[in-house]
Amino acid sequence: MTITSLPLSNALGWGLKRKLIVSMLLVGVVPLLLGLGMAFLQGSKEIQVVSGESFQALATEAARKLDLLVSEEVARTSRIAIHPDIVRELEHRRDLLQAPENTSARMSLAQQRARWEARDPAAVKAINENPTALLLQGFYAGSQNVPDQLLPQVVRAATKKLFVTDVQGNLFAALSAKPKFVHADSLWWKGTFNKGVGQLFIEDLHFDDDANTYVFSISLPIMDSLRYEVVGVLHRVIDAKEFFSPATHPIRFGKTGHVMLIDSRGIVLSCPILPTGVRLSDPSLIPHVTVRQPGWVTADSDGHGGQGTAIIGFAPLPETSRATNGTLEKGAWHTFVWQSSDELFAPIRHLMFWMGILALLALGLLATLGYLAASRIVTPVRRLQEAARLIGRGELREPIQIHTGDELEELAVEFNRMHAQLEAAFAGLNTQVEEKTQEVEYLQKSTDQVLDAVTTPIIMIDQQGRIQYMNRASREVLDTKESDWSARPLFDLLQIDHGHREALQRDLRLVEQGAPKESSLFDRERGPKEARDPLAPTLSHTSPSSRHELLIGTHLYHYEWFPLESRSGAGKRFGLVLRDTTDESRLQDQLIQAEKSGSLNVLTAGIGHELNNPLFGILGLGEAIQEEGDLARAKGYAQDIVGHGRKMAAIIRDFTGVAARESKNQRVPVDVTAQLEQALAIVQTSHDCLGLNVQKHYVTLPPVTALPDQLRLAFINILTNAIQAMRGRGDLWLSTEEQGGVITIKIRDNGPGIPKQHLGKVFDPFFTTKGQGEGSGLGLTVAQRLIKKFGGEIRLESPEKQGTTCVITLPADKAGVRKEEPCIPS
Amino acid sequence: MYSILAIFRAWPLWLALVLACASTYSLQAKDVAPPAGISPEKVADYVHAVLDADRTIYTNQVVNRMQAKGIVSAAEHWEQENALPLPAQFLQHSGKLVAEAGRGIRYRLISLWPVYQRNAPATDLERRALESFAQTPDRPFTGIVTSGRKQYFQAVYSDRAISAACVKCHNSHPLSPKRDFALNDVMGGMTITIPLD
Repeated sequence: MTITSLPLSNALGWGLKRKLIVSMLLVGVVPLLLGLGMAFLQGSKEIQVVSGESFQALATEAARKLDLLVSEEVARTSRIAIHPDIVRELEHRRDLLQAPENTSARMSLAQQRARWEARDPAAVKAINENPTALLLQGFYAGSQNVPDQLLPQVVRAATKKLFVTDVQGNLFAALSAKPKFVHADSLWWKGTFNKGVGQLFIEDLHFDDDANTYVFSISLPIMDSLRYEVVGVLHRVIDAKEFFSPATHPIRFGKTGHVMLIDSRGIVLSCPILPTGVRLSDPSLIPHVTVRQPGWVTADSDGHGGQGTAIIGFAPLPETSRATNGTLEKGAWHTFVWQSSDELFAPIRHLMFWMGILALLALGLLATLGYLAASRIVTPVRRLQEAARLIGRGELREPIQIHTGDELEELAVEFNRMHAQLEAAFAGLNTQVEEKTQEVEYLQKSTDQVLDAVTTPIIMIDQQGRIQYMNRASREVLDTKESDWSARPLFDLLQIDHGHREALQRDLRLVEQGAPKESSLFDRERGPKEARDPLAPTLSHTSPSSRHELLIGTHLYHYEWFPLESRSGAGKRFGLVLRDTTDESRLQDQLIQAEKSGSLNVLTAGIGHELNNPLFGILGLGEAIQEEGDLARAKGYAQDIVGHGRKMAAIIRDFTGVAARESKNQRVPVDVTAQLEQALAIVQTSHDCLGLNVQKHYVTLPPVTALPDQLRLAFINILTNAIQAMRGRGDLWLSTEEQGGVITIKIRDNGPGIPKQHLGKVFDPFFTTKGQGEGSGLGLTVAQRLIKKFGGEIRLESPEKQGTTCVITLPADKAGVRKEEPCIPS
Repeated sequence: MYSILAIFRAWPLWLALVLACASTYSLQAKDVAPPAGISPEKVADYVHAVLDADRTIYTNQVVNRMQAKGIVSAAEHWEQENALPLPAQFLQHSGKLVAEAGRGIRYRLISLWPVYQRNAPATDLERRALESFAQTPDRPFTGIVTSGRKQYFQAVYSDRAISAACVKCHNSHPLSPKRDFALNDVMGGMTITIPLD
């Protein structure tokens, strides 16, 4: 096998293999990429959903935990608020303040306030060490609590202030000297007092100057012993970070995942990363995470200053939120669970990385397998291709051996079978071709022989004018040897002058363009006719070139181009036939001379005859005058002589008119009747017409366009023929008619008629039934050619033994104006 | 009866302020006070009847029907969860509204097993009343209570678990101290407090 020798430009070998590998790769790559892409998208989405839902659950759980933390703290604090001693003290204070008659209590209150603000030790002691304050301390220190309800250490440390106000918002008892005295105008107090009804009030995060930290506060109404109305407010300020961080900070997952607590303004109460009191970095995030229902969002930022997709779970603290700022409507607290997106999507990225590596490995494997598979498929295909090539060149010697056990093997078997059949078919074809070739050679040889035998020179050329074939005659004419002419340009060989060469080339072009060949026929017809017209003026001869004639050496040749059948794809071919017209034209010239002299004889005889009668009259009368003595008679004879002289003069004038050279070559409108009459007169004068009875039936005719002399000549020839046929005696009918623009002239005699065998030859030149010297045999020929020249026709009808009718038709000159024929004598 | 007589003897002026028809109970009081007036027991009775009816309508016609049709359910954190307030919350919130309106009369739900400590009995009377419901759940417990110098009439009516929602919530709430309530059990009482000065 010569697989390696196959050219690379052969698209099959390379193309098929490459296509197979590429398609296998595509089959692998496209689903792989699609799968990877979809896996990534779906994975990311699912991670988002799963993380979001986990975060939401975590946020909810953390919210519940923090809610319980706050609730427990509220419950713990409320134990102080319901302590009967404190309630009793405050009830007493209320009664004291509300007693209408007791103004001194109010007075002392103002004093107490002034002294508190001045930090008067007595006043401070009155507030910090009164029974209620002692109770508060007891609670704070734990001595007032039942063992399982001890204030936890964390809570105790977180508590920055703890004090009680009376029903009017004035400080009633406190743990320290830090609190202000009057609180009636503060938001928390009004919220907790709530028109005496009382409600839990958890203050939002704010900075406390005394504690120097961010705090929130729990304010509880101290109800009277009936829980009917508020008698005081317990206010507790708690460090937010210290309070919440033990609950929020331990909740960590991954490296960055954590839980934080924010309020409805987005301010952080507790976060392992952000400091307490700062706002979330992205304000647009706040509305999404501070809704009343737990949930999760995919946000563009994480609230911690990081940009990029973040998944955030959130949940409100249900119970605490209800008390923040008095009601739920005024703000709620929310947990916020977040993990860095880098960390969050790390697993899927990791997965994608490994999947990408595996995909590359798979692609490599695919490419290798594809290459192997393609090779397995392509190798037998190439062998088949090579075999097909060998079959095409007929060089396959051995059957194709492919044993792949699949369609290719079947194909190889079919190839072998086809090859066998082709060989068989070719063997038959070869013999046929040999036969045909021999036949063609034989045909060519005989054609050559035929062409060589023909004396007419025949030359064949191709489109470029190079000679393809010359027969023997032409080789002789051109005097060339075989070795010279092959593929040589014809015009180099032709020894002709410039004018002929141009004409020859022009005619070749005409034939090449498919010009009709009539022109040559017309020319051939016109030439001899004009030459034979004995009476026609010597016309300026058309140039030899326009007559398709060539002068080669001493010989004159009439040439003719003709197109040759050419094979498809090959250029056009043309043939050139040369006809030696040297002898022909010499003969013609002689004939013309003879005709001219013959006509002159007739003319001379006619003139003689015509002039003889009056001449003899004159002679006789002259003799009579000589002998006559009577003067009167002599005068009468003289008068007769003058009459005869005049007649002679008229005759001479008439003949002069006949013989007058055509002054012009121009065709003019001619009156046919006048010409016929004139011709009759001429013929009658030149022939013995004593027994001739002429009958005329003329109608008024339109003129025809013709040369009047030549038309008259035609009539003369026909009439002469008729009169000669009748031997000068008999009936001659002349009639004219016109129908549909065609003028018909009939000349009928009652002579012996024309035998049938002669009827077809009467127009042939030199055909005559007359004896030697009587006629030239050209009369009717000339008449026919002249009539044809003027667009008419002439024919002879001769029913046997009934005379002859000559029918001449001429086209009427429709546009022509009827006018006098100038040649008619007056 | 003792408590009613006590009120009448001590606060004849208050009776004059009460607009009501004469009743057979007031025969004894006629010699010390004008016959026109209405006893605080009656006022408390009226108020309790109205409150009870309102809450029953709310429970049966609103909450139960909505839950049965699956449209919306009642939940403690109804604000967050886009739900209906629990019937107990309905009463508590209306009580808060009434109190905030400043009309004097107040009512609230109390229990010996409160979910939130603020709903525990505040007074001795309330405690005794709740304890008395174990024997006489259908009789209201009334009496005069004082806060400092102020005196109030209090009537405590037993309150039953009127729907499954009540039982379910109290038995499952993390802060609930008692978790074995059954439908129609006395879960606590409704205290109606009317100031007497």
